[in-house]
Amino acid sequence: MSGDLSRLLNAVGLLGIGTVLALAFIDQIWFRDLPCPLCILQRVGFFAAGFGIALNIIFGPKPSHYGVAIIGAVGGAAIAMRQILIHIVPGTGSYGNPVFGLHLYTWAFIAFVVIVVGCAIMLLDDRQFSRAEPMSVRLKPLPLSALLLFLVLAVANIFSTIALCGAGFCPDEPKDYILFQSSP
Amino acid sequence: MMSLPFVLFACGLGAAWMRQRGVAMGFWVVGLVTMLVLFRVHVTEVLSIQL
Repeated sequence: MSGDLSRLLNAVGLLGIGTVLALAFIDQIWFRDLPCPLCILQRVGFFAAGFGIALNIIFGPKPSHYGVAIIGAVGGAAIAMRQILIHIVPGTGSYGNPVFGLHLYTWAFIAFVVIVVGCAIMLLDDRQFSRAEPMSVRLKPLPLSALLLFLVLAVANIFSTIALCGAGFCPDEPKDYILFQSSP
Repeated sequence: MMSLPFVLFACGLGAAWMRQRGVAMGFWVVGLVTMLVLFRVHVTEVLSIQL
């Protein structure tokens, strides 16, 4: 696999992560399914994992970048698993609306596993690491779009989380945006 | 407080965009540690799983 093909596949992967984060935003804004603290931390996990993939796109593929993605995904998976276990016993309720029969934290866990497996598969091909990539290489439209989407979503999550939680910790079950609540 | 990891990762992406790989990796490490600390803060109860 050439470095260019690897960059392209990484761009597709980053677009996938961006799509997951964008869908979470649509669920939050359109369906008013406000994220709990663990839900927000799972979004953080997607950014931690996607960061490694973004590094692959910008600097060229390196094993350390895949390591960054895998560590981020494992951290996110641990958070998603914690939330699954909170609700795994029948009668302990759930959080948020199910999508295709599974809650978002279950989908998040599956997505994190897919990221780990995807990175492991990409690491199998050593040829992508053989050629040193020039630092001034210009990005093609798809990788550039994936990076821009990822950056925009990171900034959007900053404002969304501040609006939802203010400067402190988030409530366990948020009912409204703290920033937009009128003071009594 | 909960937005801090997003801020750190966004700064890291900005550093990567400016071709500062070491700085970007630094932001990622701090962001990851922040994520784990916030996770620890929110794990306050023992799971009620009785087998």
